[in-house]
Amino acid sequence: MLTRVTGVRRLIEAACAGAVLCTLSVPRPAWSQTTVTLPDTSLTTTMSVNVSEQVRVTVPAGVTFTVSNIGVSTVAAAVAITADQIVTSSAAKQLRISLQANAASFTPPVAGAVTWSASDVSWNAATWTNATGSAATLSHSSSETVATCQADTSSCSTIGLVFTLAPKPTVQRSGTHTLVVAWKLESI
Amino acid sequence: MALFLALLLQAAALAAAPDPPRPLSFQATLDAIRITVQPGQVATRQFRLTLDRDQQPTQFKARIEDWWRSEDGKQSFYAKPGTLRRSCGEWVSINPVEATVQPGATLTIRITVSMPVEVQAGGFWCALTVDEVPSPLEAGGEGVGVRFVASVSAGIFVNVEPVRREASILGLDVAKDAASVNLRNDGNTPLAVEGRIEFFSPGASTPLSSVALSRRTLLTEPSRNGVIGVTLPSAEALPAGRYRVRVILDIGTDHYIGAERELDLLREGSPERAAD
Repeated sequence: MLTRVTGVRRLIEAACAGAVLCTLSVPRPAWSQTTVTLPDTSLTTTMSVNVSEQVRVTVPAGVTFTVSNIGVSTVAAAVAITADQIVTSSAAKQLRISLQANAASFTPPVAGAVTWSASDVSWNAATWTNATGSAATLSHSSSETVATCQADTSSCSTIGLVFTLAPKPTVQRSGTHTLVVAWKLESI
Repeated sequence: MALFLALLLQAAALAAAPDPPRPLSFQATLDAIRITVQPGQVATRQFRLTLDRDQQPTQFKARIEDWWRSEDGKQSFYAKPGTLRRSCGEWVSINPVEATVQPGATLTIRITVSMPVEVQAGGFWCALTVDEVPSPLEAGGEGVGVRFVASVSAGIFVNVEPVRREASILGLDVAKDAASVNLRNDGNTPLAVEGRIEFFSPGASTPLSSVALSRRTLLTEPSRNGVIGVTLPSAEALPAGRYRVRVILDIGTDHYIGAERELDLLREGSPERAAD
């Protein structure tokens, strides 16, 4: 049974904030009658700083799978990702890091040769600093979450993201099979 | 002499060899662009991307896309402008579309939203996506490889008055280590939703524990529904037991919306009992 809660008003919290401000604005008693010269406030300039939501990121250039047996999974060396200098508009807002393949399959060394699909690539739920990692499978049609940085954190990173290439016993051509994959940083 | 020539040729070959790709490092603004406009109005904003000083010159390409997210928020989908009925993609122009950024330099993209004269009321949205373009001079790796590129997406939200911000809480559930709130957008514009879940012991008026919900955007299509999940505090802070669980959400209106229910919270190792 779900009951709708009423009377939970933003105004209540606004009133609390107002009370704090009132306390701070109570005048102090005068202890002496010394005359002081006050600065001419008409000559002051208000300086304001407008800070954008922003992030600085370092993403790896690529990973290589050394496939010596097409019949078993191949694990690549771990890669590092860093997001720092994170500034958001709200403490509840989080930076999301995801991956999306630019094509449905790898480009084989010879046109028309059998190769791996983008969905043959997967990654682990790595241990992140200030983020929650998610295991997922690469897709061409959607961007899949790799990690979500903690709310209100200024940085998040990992050095242990490991990609795995699924077995593909039907591959018949050696050489370079490549796929371009985008690291997507979203603030939406 | 022959040795000198050989060394010279080797050095020339090395100089001409394609560069291996290096990690890319840059700073970018992430502000979602939120504007309220009248039909026929024009609004402009900027997106900035600054390449780190130790980087190679890098090419970037910008485009406008439609965008939406799965109900659980784990997947994002991008498509050409006009895929969604409430797309703002066809009203947005960007300049420049493509540019090479030098180390330490900043790419500034001007985003112009030109509203048509006749347009429905409510919210429209799309996304600016800025992609790294791989250099054709880079060396391809040997074997089976993935070449990563960076891509930044920032939301563009356009509101045309009158805008209705309304939402319903459809469900509130807890599992052993997580809670989730099921929502529906009942208005005519995307909602930025944030809030908290409070756990009250029986008879208590102040919560034993309060868990903040991360911000989610609840769209009006292709689905009006969304689920916000959150990890619960440790069993020491929030032990197993029966609680009155209350969710309070800020959907950008002058009042919060809320719902509550009584249910049994099971933690790891606690005996199984049916909730509610």
